[in-house]
Amino acid sequence: MIIHVDMDAFYASVEERDRPELVGRAVVVGGSADGRGVVAAANYAARTFGIHSAMPAAQAYRLCPQAVFLPPRIKYYADVSRKIRHIFERYTPLVEPLSLDEAFMDARASERLFGSSESIARQIKNDILTELGLVASVGVAPNKFLAKLASDFDKPNGFVVIHEQDIQPFLDPLPVQRLWGVGRVGARVFDELGIHTVGQLRQRSKNWLCGRFGKFGEHLWQLAHGRDERTVVPDRQAKSISHETTFEHDIDDVNVLKSNLLTMTEQVAYRLRQAQLRARTVSLKLRYADFHTLTRAHTLEQPTHATDALWATANRLLDQRLLPLSAPVRLVGVGVSALESTQTNQTDLFAQARDIRRQDVDRLSDDISARFGRGALRRGRTLKP
Amino acid sequence: MKFKVQRENLLKPLQLVSGVVERRQTLPVLSNLLLSAEADKISLTGTDLEVELVAELKTSVDEAGEITIPARKLLDICRTLPEGAQLEIVVTGDKAQLKSGRSRFSLSTLPASEFPSVDEIHGMRQFEIGQGELRRLIERTHFCMAQQDVRYYLNGLMFEIEGQSLRSVATDGHRLAMSDLVTSADVGENQQVIVPRKGIQELARLLVDDDERVQIHLGNNHIRLQLPGLRFTSKLIDGRFPDYQRVLPKGGNKLLTAECAQLKQALIRTSILSNEKYRGVRLQLDNGRLRILAHNPEQEEAEEELEVEYQGDELEIGFNVTYLLDAINAIVGDKVTISLSDANSSCLIQEPAEGSSKYVVMPMRL
Repeated sequence: MIIHVDMDAFYASVEERDRPELVGRAVVVGGSADGRGVVAAANYAARTFGIHSAMPAAQAYRLCPQAVFLPPRIKYYADVSRKIRHIFERYTPLVEPLSLDEAFMDARASERLFGSSESIARQIKNDILTELGLVASVGVAPNKFLAKLASDFDKPNGFVVIHEQDIQPFLDPLPVQRLWGVGRVGARVFDELGIHTVGQLRQRSKNWLCGRFGKFGEHLWQLAHGRDERTVVPDRQAKSISHETTFEHDIDDVNVLKSNLLTMTEQVAYRLRQAQLRARTVSLKLRYADFHTLTRAHTLEQPTHATDALWATANRLLDQRLLPLSAPVRLVGVGVSALESTQTNQTDLFAQARDIRRQDVDRLSDDISARFGRGALRRGRTLKP
Repeated sequence: MKFKVQRENLLKPLQLVSGVVERRQTLPVLSNLLLSAEADKISLTGTDLEVELVAELKTSVDEAGEITIPARKLLDICRTLPEGAQLEIVVTGDKAQLKSGRSRFSLSTLPASEFPSVDEIHGMRQFEIGQGELRRLIERTHFCMAQQDVRYYLNGLMFEIEGQSLRSVATDGHRLAMSDLVTSADVGENQQVIVPRKGIQELARLLVDDDERVQIHLGNNHIRLQLPGLRFTSKLIDGRFPDYQRVLPKGGNKLLTAECAQLKQALIRTSILSNEKYRGVRLQLDNGRLRILAHNPEQEEAEEELEVEYQGDELEIGFNVTYLLDAINAIVGDKVTISLSDANSSCLIQEPAEGSSKYVVMPMRL
């Protein structure tokens, strides 16, 4: 069984834990309400006012002026996250963090030591509460896809186990957009086809789905049957780092596309630098509204973690190998692979002065992000007109 | 085809030619040697599509012909036959029969027409130099070649010819080696060629350290060397070698001179406790004194101190110890000079009297 642990309103809960006077009040962590900041996290009290993460802070303020607005302390949350991870690692080395507040674990090999995966999951949830005073929602299921659905099913403070025989009864009534890869727009496509639930999707044949959505159809068919072959990959062995986003509305403006790609490239580059890695290969993924999906990759002569260098490559891949767009785009993603450690500190003979300047810019921007939160300093292109 | 040959005459050329044949092959015929017999000589050819080696030897041929036979097996049979053995090879149908004394072998063959031959060589120019001279150019620089780098043009040794100068340069992006040779005859206009790593390794095995001349033919896409009884051909790497002149340090105002043997021993001892993967050591320079320090992830530490010629400001700089040792090993003479400028800039390693070879090593950040 795979375990998925998702911290409830993580940033906000950490703040509440440290400042008991906040308990019971709506707490919003994020950029300032008078600027252009966005909500990074909102506690459940705030969510009852309709506030959710990624909402402009100004809008959150309008919804609930009496909420407590706090600037994020990312470094501190990362520390807490590390402590949570240490708890996971008591039970298994197979921990795959997805972000600061979420991780997959595969504890099957530890069952003889600590009991069933289900009981390990309970111990983890309990350890997090008693040692760190934080509440987690936990899902236990035969694979990653189901484990993540399970942890989300009874949030907050959930604990949901899906056994083999419960898979279809659990999945069938869920709305199709709960399938990984189907967003709000995808759901609309299914709506038109008269498919609203996973169960209805499952009634369709694999051939029908593949004919309609290509490879993605195969993926949907597998998920609808509760199948997911992905294994838990511990972070330190990461082979690639990627970000992708599904647009709320399909995009046909190349500039909007590029602005989103740049934002994701910044995030990928930031994660590379945090992990002390450089990448040689940059890849782009583009999914059209009809789910036709293209990927293109380019391998660089020298590995890099410079945002500028990665962006130049991603931008060129888009310009030369994916444009012009043949239809509106529903998803774009950028990823890097062929990773190498930077810990050698060996300097390069042919490094250009430009590379050194890039490093300075990145270091500065990382410092600013660490201090003021991601998005505090942004490249001009990523700002929407 | 039918010929006789003395084991000792065949063994040496067979070993050389088989060396080119790669163990793992995509094309079956590439694990074979091309064997051709005519009049009073036979020739053996091995290739991996990049490097080709042809050996010729005189022997009595009863019937001319061409065929390919498995390289490794033929070599193993020859090696293990007794000294002084006489071999007879006869090709009948699709089998090659090998007889020697009471031993009999029947080897499979593939037709000679399937054996790939080098494309025709265009734009040829020629010159001659001593085998020993060419060997030294390779020996002093080859260790800096990159290995399977995506910058494919670094996976080889660059030769630059101009007038009476022949220069070899190799770099893996972290360090660079360069060696110069003044030739007796004018070799012509400026040209740079990059010989792939495998070709260089083969050449290093073929060349002997003496004054015997070697004829070099340079085409647009090939280099060919004619040696006594051997013809070596290699494709050239089609790419532009980086501007190495630009990375030769010029402003090195801190000069360190040390005894080669002493410095080498100190570095070797210190390296034992450096990080096994990254091999970093720290050099601390002060008036007349060099300290070398290393530590590893197990928190073990090594420290060496030696007297050197050094006058200048204090300096602390890190290097990959393997890079330093490779360069010092290639230095001829008892002393070595290292010019430095600061902790972030490369150093230049050479013989004190500005010898024919130069080594540039980039530092590691401490």
